[in-house]
Amino acid sequence: MGITLNALTRSLSVFHLAASPCNNCDIEILDCLTPKYDLERFGIQLIGSIRHADALLVTGSVNRKAAERLKLLYEQAPKPCVVIAIGGCACSGIMFRDNYNFAGPVDRLVPVDIYIPGCPPKPEAMIAGVAKLIAKVRGEKA
Amino acid sequence: MSMPLTGFADRFKTRALAWEEKRARRLYVEIRPSDLLETANYLYKDCGCRFVIATATDIVTAITVLYHFAHDASGVMVNIRVTLDRDKPAVESLTQLFVGAEWIEREMWELLGITFIHHPGLKHLLLPDDWPNGVHPLRQDFRQDELPPPCPGRGAEENR
Repeated sequence: MGITLNALTRSLSVFHLAASPCNNCDIEILDCLTPKYDLERFGIQLIGSIRHADALLVTGSVNRKAAERLKLLYEQAPKPCVVIAIGGCACSGIMFRDNYNFAGPVDRLVPVDIYIPGCPPKPEAMIAGVAKLIAKVRGEKA
Repeated sequence: MSMPLTGFADRFKTRALAWEEKRARRLYVEIRPSDLLETANYLYKDCGCRFVIATATDIVTAITVLYHFAHDASGVMVNIRVTLDRDKPAVESLTQLFVGAEWIEREMWELLGITFIHHPGLKHLLLPDDWPNGVHPLRQDFRQDELPPPCPGRGAEENR
């Protein structure tokens, strides 16, 4: 494992993009940081700038306006950057897929590394997803 | 009906196209579009009503806009309805009375194609700036296949 991968998988700095969500997934993401789950124990923390991020967390059914921002954010992220699609909307679009303002699930706009479906997914599901992702990036078996 | 709204009834009931006191605290008034500014001004300045929001609907034969005013002292909701020509819907902008009406009018303009006369800046709010002109997604005759594909430019594969 190279030094980049080692650094990437040790302590994730996560940037959270709320791309026109209903806010439910976002609340569950914040739940992960509360004392009950406390993801900061594992060095996972939310940060305020995409330029410092190791992971891009996307929630919501990305609309046409947010799609441009999502692409821009992905371009600004230092690579390697993993993209995590949280919730049914970000994974597939579910009931919003035929909406006039829907720009597509996240994987139509930027490459996605892991999908965490659910409406909203439980914090446990997100933690399990991130743990699997780290194992995958390291080349281990999850 | 409470005192300030009695004044409103005295003054506007005869001019209204329809006047319905649906429940004790719910009043529906249909007015001519040309009376809108005066009615809204009276409700706001003389009756002490608060402009809550406006909603527009395409009812196939016409387009209607409902302006919701709340009289908080008595809990009465006053709903002012204007009916507009479906081919060229246009009505005076309420931003001349309260700036808070600006964004909801932008939204009604882009989703239903209602022109608000004297609005300071009718531009897209929820839809992207490159949205095709004259396509209004909440119109009954809107067809999804008229739309260009979302987010032209690089696809996911090229981004990789």
